[in-house]
Amino acid sequence: MAADTICIGVVVAAHGVRGQVKVRSFTEDPLKLGAYGPVTDDSGARRFTVKVQGAPKDGVVIATLSGLADRDAAEALRRTRLYVPRTALPAVADDEFYHADLVGLEARTTDGAALGKVSAVQNFGGGDLLEIEPLAGGDTLLVPFSKAAVPVVDLAAGTVVIDPVTALPPAGGEPEPEPPGDEA
Amino acid sequence: MARSVWKGPFVDGYLLKKADAARSSGRKEIIKTWSRRSTVLPQFVGVTFGVYNGRKFIPVNITEDMVGHKLGEFSPTRTFTGHTAADKKAKRD
Repeated sequence: MAADTICIGVVVAAHGVRGQVKVRSFTEDPLKLGAYGPVTDDSGARRFTVKVQGAPKDGVVIATLSGLADRDAAEALRRTRLYVPRTALPAVADDEFYHADLVGLEARTTDGAALGKVSAVQNFGGGDLLEIEPLAGGDTLLVPFSKAAVPVVDLAAGTVVIDPVTALPPAGGEPEPEPPGDEA
Repeated sequence: MARSVWKGPFVDGYLLKKADAARSSGRKEIIKTWSRRSTVLPQFVGVTFGVYNGRKFIPVNITEDMVGHKLGEFSPTRTFTGHTAADKKAKRD
């Protein structure tokens, strides 16, 4: 699939006899599956208009795709991924970035040294984190996505600049001693 | 049973010292800690801890909403492999 498209769902099964399908939605709100305009299949050859029906269950929604009239047509689409052009997503505010834009950027330190590649954006409840796959391999690095730790995000150049002092935990250090006895 | 109120929140003493030192120095470094059991106190707000999950240190930027929770709650020990939402946004604070 073209690099300027984003996968927003995958057809998991047919539903009923009127050509409806069950789609696992990869949008934040599963009901917004059809909100970004027509979708295309893996090859980009077929286009569908999506109309979501009913409440989602475990991220799966029942949808009607244009051009599907019966169950056989719906069955044939099983496991088809649905894509929208990246440009279909609404513009974001300052200092806001789509995860899809951040993943794949090259990470460099403030000195210009190559660090690795952004492989994912995580959030475990303690703020957004960039997961960086080091060039040398091994365990991924997690960097807080803050202005201090990531002073520059240049989407046009495809790079992020990481300040190693504020972004990475200092090397070394011994585990803290267990205090005598249990909680006081 | 909940912890008795008279005891106050539990925090490892060495973590308090580290956080105080970081706040007074004004440096924005990540404070490495193994103390997942320590409660987040109001004086930790603004500090970034690297909380050990058994494999690596997960950066946790402390905000007001986290006060009263344990540090370990923000540093999962198991890997979740799911699909990221296509239209999900990240905000740079």
